[in-house]
Amino acid sequence: MATEAGTSAASDRRAFTKAAGQEHRRQTAAAAAAIAAVAATDDASALPQLFGRQRISAAQAARFLAQATFGADDRSIAEVIATGYAGWIEAQFAKPQSLHRAYLESVIDPAQPQQVFRNAVLDSFWTQAITGADQLRQRVAFALSEIFVVSQLSAPVSQRPRGLADYLDMLGREAFGNFRSLLDRVSLHPIMGLCLSHLRNQKEDPATGRVPDENYAREVMQLFTIGLYQLNPDGTARLDGRGQKIPTYTNDDVMGLARVFTGFSWAGPDTSNQRFFGGRADPDRDVLPMQAYPQFHSLAEKRFLGVVIPAGTGPTESLRVALDALFNHPNVGPFFGRQLIQRLVTSNPSPAYVRRVAAAFDNDGRGVRGDMKAVLRAVLLDPEARSDSSAAGPAFGKLREPVLRLSAWARAFKATSASGAFRIRDTSDPSTRLGQAPLRSPSVFNFFRPGYVPPNTSIAAAGLVAPEFQITGETSVAGYLNYMRNVISTGAGGDVRSSYADELPLAADPQKLVERVELLLTGNQLSSSTRTAIRDAVAAIRADGSNAALNRVRLAVFLVMASPEFLVIN
Amino acid sequence: MSKGMNPVRRQFLSTAGALSVLGAGSPLALNLAGVGAAAALAAPADYRALVCVFLFGGNDQTNTVVPYDEAEYAVYRNARPGIARDRTDLVSLGPVAAQGGRSFALPKELAPLATLYAQGAAAIVANVGPLVVPTTKAEYRNAAVPLPPKLFSHNDQQSVWQSSDAEGGTVGWGGRFGDLLATANGSPTFTAVSVSGAAVFLAGQQILQYQVGSGGPVAISALTGNPFGSPRAAATLRQLLTATYPHLFDNEYARVTARSIDAAAALSEALAGAPALTTPFPDDNPLAQQLRMVARIISVRGALGARRQVFFVSQGGYDTHDNQLGTQPGLHAGLAAAIDSFYRATVELGVAGSVTTFTASDFGRTLSSNGDGSDHGWGAHHFVVGGAVRSGIHGRFPVVALNTAEDVGSGRLLPTTAVVQYASTLARWFGVPDASLTDALPDIVNFGTRDLGFLS
Repeated sequence: MATEAGTSAASDRRAFTKAAGQEHRRQTAAAAAAIAAVAATDDASALPQLFGRQRISAAQAARFLAQATFGADDRSIAEVIATGYAGWIEAQFAKPQSLHRAYLESVIDPAQPQQVFRNAVLDSFWTQAITGADQLRQRVAFALSEIFVVSQLSAPVSQRPRGLADYLDMLGREAFGNFRSLLDRVSLHPIMGLCLSHLRNQKEDPATGRVPDENYAREVMQLFTIGLYQLNPDGTARLDGRGQKIPTYTNDDVMGLARVFTGFSWAGPDTSNQRFFGGRADPDRDVLPMQAYPQFHSLAEKRFLGVVIPAGTGPTESLRVALDALFNHPNVGPFFGRQLIQRLVTSNPSPAYVRRVAAAFDNDGRGVRGDMKAVLRAVLLDPEARSDSSAAGPAFGKLREPVLRLSAWARAFKATSASGAFRIRDTSDPSTRLGQAPLRSPSVFNFFRPGYVPPNTSIAAAGLVAPEFQITGETSVAGYLNYMRNVISTGAGGDVRSSYADELPLAADPQKLVERVELLLTGNQLSSSTRTAIRDAVAAIRADGSNAALNRVRLAVFLVMASPEFLVIN
Repeated sequence: MSKGMNPVRRQFLSTAGALSVLGAGSPLALNLAGVGAAAALAAPADYRALVCVFLFGGNDQTNTVVPYDEAEYAVYRNARPGIARDRTDLVSLGPVAAQGGRSFALPKELAPLATLYAQGAAAIVANVGPLVVPTTKAEYRNAAVPLPPKLFSHNDQQSVWQSSDAEGGTVGWGGRFGDLLATANGSPTFTAVSVSGAAVFLAGQQILQYQVGSGGPVAISALTGNPFGSPRAAATLRQLLTATYPHLFDNEYARVTARSIDAAAALSEALAGAPALTTPFPDDNPLAQQLRMVARIISVRGALGARRQVFFVSQGGYDTHDNQLGTQPGLHAGLAAAIDSFYRATVELGVAGSVTTFTASDFGRTLSSNGDGSDHGWGAHHFVVGGAVRSGIHGRFPVVALNTAEDVGSGRLLPTTAVVQYASTLARWFGVPDASLTDALPDIVNFGTRDLGFLS
């Protein structure tokens, strides 16, 4: 057996997914026909009703939940089966938001410096990721935190845990709102203002030669809205007559837009110079949107992307015009939509998939542009995201980022926190932990780039991208396994542990045990040879040995989580 | 396990096996047919290493090498309200003959580099940046010549510096140098080593980079013993981790893991036999700790059978849009301390003349100030350190003022030396034959000077 699975894992994979297809074929035949019809017309709006009527298998539900949540568990699988994909999404839209800021305010002791409580942001993140009922909102907020990136590695952010918690809450709130509002809240959040240095940004001064800070102007275009190149509605690059990509903006556009982002700083009851520069700190300034200080705002003419804001225009109006222009740029739908697909579903969506999501961005069906709920429905209910056949493709899906591996474990096995605070703490070290921690990206460019191509691989040769491979290396793959071995036995941070209460009763039957673990963690995406190999290794633990049942469960979990077939979400 | 291995893994193992049988001094090129073009070159007998120190974020060059003559300093100071360094905080390098006798200085935090400069172990290359062809300001303004893609964008210019391609590029010049010289090495695995995560700089057409942490290789604990009390767990784990898979991503993840297992074993074994490195490296300095790992790997070059190695380390935080005077000096102090320790370590190991360390960065920054910081620029000054260095300021140091022939806006420098020229100078020293330079650095054909003379 030990020498067998190496090769048969490969060939049996297709056989297994085929078998899985047969298992579900009866229930999904009608859905498949409906999906084909939708795919032919690109009309994704018909999907919610279609899916609402179909019987969904537990494996399909688990696969869906791996995309839409921090991980499947028994309850959420049952919910999806009961309500259908679309019904589950609508129910999630209606759930009240769990607020990180409220948690921070419950633990911060005003007598101590706030930064003492910086770990509480991570604690709150993990608490909600693992236990929050508003899974879709928290999961999308995490995805947005990897697009509209701020980082605790920035010292001013690290010192303001309440502000960072509020930033995450803001992403969660706007996740089900409108992109225009999201863009406004992101641009004016003081945590973003600190990260991209437009907080306290001053207008030009011809006398000294001082010019406005260009940081936010550049990144709001490059990373948050329109990207570097003009796009077709399907996300592919438009080409000029010579076959070249067409830049969306020049450095002159950056300099013109930079004038818009002058004269914004800390909120407070007045707009004094002192407050602008950081004095007279309002107790809520870390969580209030930045306010305008007209005396520091450039009144020069502002030209960018073909927009002209006349000389003399003040900060609030200039910002409104600028964000409207960015929001209405035709690139936003495909640019943002493609990234959201990458964060939730697959690294290499087809142009047609991107086009359908971009169309939902452009018009939610009622004439509204930027409706985030419409975009999320389009991303998660698209035939390409949902069909079993696309899941079986040799390049579909994405490498599960390390944070989501840990959350998948904790949710699947109902981990609890001994301290009650989910003290998993900083998991950034690739040698000993996950090589990634939420809200701790090294820069505004996130842990990995949407266009990352792992050099010298068959992925590169196929012309594909694989963002999460940017944080995958010889050290991190080993560090992950060693960390998880420890987590599975003694808990994450020594605090977040599972008793495996629902798995222990299956320990006497390794086949059933592995099937349960596989369902929860992968949505039955293991090849039969992988499953068999794991089952046999589990069965090799003598049933009469000490801790045999617990060891069998832990080994089953560990080997599934070590398998590339778990590590890649299909 | 063997059935699941792909050719790359097999190649590594066969090479490693050959190494243990034949010893590091034996010709191993026959085992390395897969390394391709490299086989055409004669394997060099000596040892050389290139170490790229990447300064992420775009180091502000204007406050890195500062004009020191009174008149030029005054122009510099006036151009940078709020972010100029005080003249009293500068360490003079003295007049530089190659720059018409103009005097320059480093900020005091870089004093260890000034000392190395005075000792003849450090050089500065002025105003280096990506160029496709030699470019004038008018040609830039009129887009009359091909320009590097996506100037002023962080992620893209990081990639352009390392690979000549914007983000998504897959072949870097460090990796190509490795391709061309890997036959010198017993194993291709340790030809291109990053101690700072994935870097396209180290990606060759054949060579794969090996990523290691500052703490050294990490073994997968569950591959030995009876994890969770199962006598079959370790073998099953190994099989899952190293199998081939039909899904491209599954398979690539398994390839990385298989390399991890093999390389960690080989490197750990080599390091276990290494004499202790006595040169102190500062503990609280991540760059220094990365460079310490590089020094440790160099110290076991014999056991690894390595004669040509390219390394990548980095330091982040240089995107000083604000609080530049609060941020950059601390980064510079860490940079100088790390490079100084590393240079001393190469002296300790007796390889100072065989190891050349050089800096790179996203881009330089504007001369103009935004009040307390500077913005994305283009050309910048860089340091080259090592026993083979010819001290001095090479290239053409620009006049530090607005509206010069090199100013393409707010004092962003149009480079007067191309990255490919900087790279080709390093390549020639490293042993890349002239005939292969255009292979590794295609745009070098557009430039007259292929050796800037900063290495002997």
